[in-house]
Amino acid sequence: MPADPSMKILVVDDMVTMRRIVKNILKQLGFGNVDEAENGQEALQKLRADTFGFVVSDWNMPVMTGIDMLRAIRADEKLKAIPVLMVTAEAQQSNLIEAVQAGVSNYIVKPFTAETMQEKLGKIFK
Amino acid sequence: MENGGPKLYEELGELARFVKDTMRTLSAASPQLTSTSAQLPAAASHLSDLKQMTEDGTLEVMRLTELIQDNHGRIAKDLSAVVEVLRAMDCPTLAGRLEKVTSVLAQDEKYLTEIMTALSFQDLVAQRVKKLVAILNEVEGKLVELVVIFGLQQSGQAAGDASLAGQLLKQLEESKTTAMKQKVADDILAQFGFK
Repeated sequence: MPADPSMKILVVDDMVTMRRIVKNILKQLGFGNVDEAENGQEALQKLRADTFGFVVSDWNMPVMTGIDMLRAIRADEKLKAIPVLMVTAEAQQSNLIEAVQAGVSNYIVKPFTAETMQEKLGKIFK
Repeated sequence: MENGGPKLYEELGELARFVKDTMRTLSAASPQLTSTSAQLPAAASHLSDLKQMTEDGTLEVMRLTELIQDNHGRIAKDLSAVVEVLRAMDCPTLAGRLEKVTSVLAQDEKYLTEIMTALSFQDLVAQRVKKLVAILNEVEGKLVELVVIFGLQQSGQAAGDASLAGQLLKQLEESKTTAMKQKVADDILAQFGFK
């Protein structure tokens, strides 16, 4: 299913600079409806309170990590179908395998380019 | 046992001398150890400042980049409208020149996006700094413990510092390199059926 440009996207990262970069790239790619969360716990609260079509998340965050948030999303009947893209510096192969096992939709290693983000979006929403 | 007795005493004597020499060496190093321990919190603070400065600088570059992006968006929209009018007025040469300007703006948009993504270095710097601060805290704890164990602190401080040393000892944060690149990640993802 192609990505709906009006869908609400949640960007989850504890670093304000990364949230801004991801938001900027999404905007350039035509997705302007973007909300932000600083950690997995805040993200889950927002996901449960609203309707989101896509989540872009970091791995290492205080309070709740991205991988724990991913597991919580996949365990939640209402949220489990939301595609989750991990954008992270956690570039060990074991991290990637852990994310795949937890149900990640795709995975981007930092630093990354807008083209990589576009390519991953294309694969998730094909 | 009778045969082993002298040998055992000899070895114990050697061990005692070694311990004494070590204690003396550590005592001699006391000022440096204490000084180094005292400097580590400042080093951690400098690193945290560095992180904050890169964050502030990055956010300012982002702010200016986004302003230019917005301006470009408006200019491109206006140019497009002007080109339409020129085409309607049968001025293809002028319209063509303006379309070239539009394509230059589009190329600049790409560069601006690249500037934004290049700024992700700040996130990586922040993560490395966090790990370095954790390591410095760990080293500081070990040094304090060493100083306390060998009684190198000034009198009256040892008891308090012993518990402080215990508190300061934390697990050394693993400092792995993030060597895996996107290509490797994609290869692994492909093995899991991500196409």
